[in-house]
Amino acid sequence: MSALKIVTRDAATGPVLELLGELDYATAPELRDVLATVTLRPGQRLVMDLAGMEFCDSSGLTALIIARNHAHAARADIALAAVPARTLRLMNIAGLDQIFSLHPDSDVATRP
Amino acid sequence: MMCRAGQQSGPYGADDEEAANASFAALLEDGAEELYENAPCGYLSTLLDGTVVKINATLLGWLGLEREEVVGRMRFTDLLTVGGKLYHETHFAPLLRMRGEIGGIALEMKQAGDKRMPVLVSSAVKHGEGGQPLLIRTTVFDARDRRAYEEELLRARKAAEEARRQAEADRARLQQALAVLQRSLLPDTLPAIPGMETAAHYRTASPDRLGGDFYDVFPLGGTRFAFFLGDVCGKGPEAAAVTSLTRYTLRAAALHDPDPVSVLATLNEVLHERYTGGDPRYCTVVFGIVDPDPESGRAAVRIASGGHPPALVLRADGRADFLPTPGGLLVGIMPAASFATAATTLAPGDALLLYTDGLTEARTGEDRTALYGDAALRAFAADHAGEPPGAVMKALADLLDGFGDGLDDDTALLALGVPSRPAPGPATKNTP
Amino acid sequence: MEIEHRNNITVVGDPQGRPVVLAHGFGCDQNMWRLTVPALAEKHRVVLFDYVGSGRSDPSAFSEDRYASLDGYAQDVVEVCEALDLRDAVFVGHSVSAMTGVLAADAVPERIGALVMVAPSPRYIDDEGYRGGFSAGDIDELLASLESNYLGWSSAMAPMIMGNPERPELGEELTDSFCATDPDMARVFARTTFLSDSRDDLEKVTVPTLVLECAQDVIAPRGVGAFVHRAIPGSTLVTLDTTGHCPHLSAPEATNEAITGFLAGLR
Repeated sequence: MSALKIVTRDAATGPVLELLGELDYATAPELRDVLATVTLRPGQRLVMDLAGMEFCDSSGLTALIIARNHAHAARADIALAAVPARTLRLMNIAGLDQIFSLHPDSDVATRP
Repeated sequence: MMCRAGQQSGPYGADDEEAANASFAALLEDGAEELYENAPCGYLSTLLDGTVVKINATLLGWLGLEREEVVGRMRFTDLLTVGGKLYHETHFAPLLRMRGEIGGIALEMKQAGDKRMPVLVSSAVKHGEGGQPLLIRTTVFDARDRRAYEEELLRARKAAEEARRQAEADRARLQQALAVLQRSLLPDTLPAIPGMETAAHYRTASPDRLGGDFYDVFPLGGTRFAFFLGDVCGKGPEAAAVTSLTRYTLRAAALHDPDPVSVLATLNEVLHERYTGGDPRYCTVVFGIVDPDPESGRAAVRIASGGHPPALVLRADGRADFLPTPGGLLVGIMPAASFATAATTLAPGDALLLYTDGLTEARTGEDRTALYGDAALRAFAADHAGEPPGAVMKALADLLDGFGDGLDDDTALLALGVPSRPAPGPATKNTP
Repeated sequence: MEIEHRNNITVVGDPQGRPVVLAHGFGCDQNMWRLTVPALAEKHRVVLFDYVGSGRSDPSAFSEDRYASLDGYAQDVVEVCEALDLRDAVFVGHSVSAMTGVLAADAVPERIGALVMVAPSPRYIDDEGYRGGFSAGDIDELLASLESNYLGWSSAMAPMIMGNPERPELGEELTDSFCATDPDMARVFARTTFLSDSRDDLEKVTVPTLVLECAQDVIAPRGVGAFVHRAIPGSTLVTLDTTGHCPHLSAPEATNEAITGFLAGLR
């Protein structure tokens, strides 16, 4: 039913969350719920793989900021991989490109 | 409804034959008179004036009366409660007179000890050989269980109606409260800026949900005015609370130090301090100062943006360009944030347009999958460049109407412009 | 709105005759006069109607505010008289309608020239020095009775669909259910009727008046007719030897005789 699917896996750098579908007002709470179950150790990197993300609005951006706060609270880092062009444009407007490290794909993002 | 004492006899075997014969004999002994007296319903016969001439034991037992005190001494209405009496006289009796019979009317009879007994009454007029009415035969059924059930039904229906009324009233009250709150987030009217024209528009995507868009214009003293327009993330009461905090913080900060960057920095500090932790609240906002010069007919504009889409400048000659403010960060997410600034000068016929992304993110196309987008907005603005802010705003409102259900998010619009110079001529002083 | 339609007006009899308006009381409708009409139709233009909220009146015209007082019902009478442009009519009102007639005659004296009050009562609830026959609590009981017949165990009392004159089967149905009304409207009429106190209005009557009472009437007990008679100077009181509240049904001949005699005596 849901327009968002979240696949979690572990890489050498830490957990990777793959977002498939739409991240918006309706589905953002699901990401928050999943984040609450993800344990991060200090120094790890939480990677959000957005290659399969078809849509992201301002609520979606908020969810990504929450992910960032979650990571920083655990003294871990966060990286976004494969940000779609349209989302990247939104992030540029909002200045978010300054506070996330962005990578072309999850392979690059999970390189130690 | 039937008044039937007997039972249908079923098939029975030889063993039961003796017992069956015995019950058959008992039935035969149950004469008409015995059945009349002890039938499981009440019988009475009255004269046309209601005087009781015959009544059965069952009914006497229900009413706790002796035959002698009733027959020839009481009328049918004397056996009824006052309410029953009134109903009898205003409905039952007229109908019986006109139709000769009436069935299944709910009345109440008086019982011994001030008790009352709900009954269902049927009556028929007996006529003589010449067709003249002689007497009234009445059958009375015990309706106590039925009435209790009926009252339960009525009670339940009333309760349901009451609950529905309450829910509707609550909903109306809530909607009114929401409307009041929503209005409190926006100015009633924009102040008149000497030498300039302003226009604003607000469009809610859903009337039930408080929107998080906001704008305002206010004087700073002298000829300068401040203006802002922004969008708080999220919707509903939480977003409205942030909107309110944002609006008043911007106003207060500007009176203290109107420099656009320091105003946004103050707001950033307030929001970040107030909403840290797992529930981040932030907004995008453009804050600016306009300083119209009546001498030159030009207005200097300085703006700062925190994460907000770029403003548009509509020129008198028909051009429309974005006023880029790249790198300004959302207000409230980082303890210290940087904001982007820009400046321009509005000449007569020029206008500055601020908007929220409800406009550019509106879904368009037949299947509502394409977004309206920046390029389309810029082209639309160019079509209306040179028009006064009111006309631009009207065109944009029509554009929003056209989006229909493609409008997912609230949209706020604010335009400030310098009126075109009056055309040269002898009597043009009254031109606005 | 057309008053003819709103109040389901029926006009029969001699168009040249002096008009007689027959007004039903609480409970039923103009069919109550079925045994009266033939006696009057020969010499009179007989006008029948249903109050809004009763019989086959137009239910959409009902307003709880308007009909919360007898003035609302009296206004119906006035509007019926005006719609037909009646002059010097004889108003025959049964029960509460007798009082409605008093109010209407006061409002449009040129239209109503005489009153016949059938089983009238200016107040149903007992008061100091006055016996109306009921207590306030009794009236609540009546309202409960109305309610309990509303669920419709009896087809005769089931709320009928009113104000639909196009329906062809009305003949039979009208007779079968002429005492059936919308329960909400009936409740308003019951309240207005039984909680009213029009004793002070009686002195306004200046036209020739006939008061008809029944010897045994649960709703307007003996004494009430005499009270009305005393309060209206020059009125005539006739006590009919019959039981019940509807002499026009229980003793139609005697009732008709009294009314036609009164009509014949008018100038």
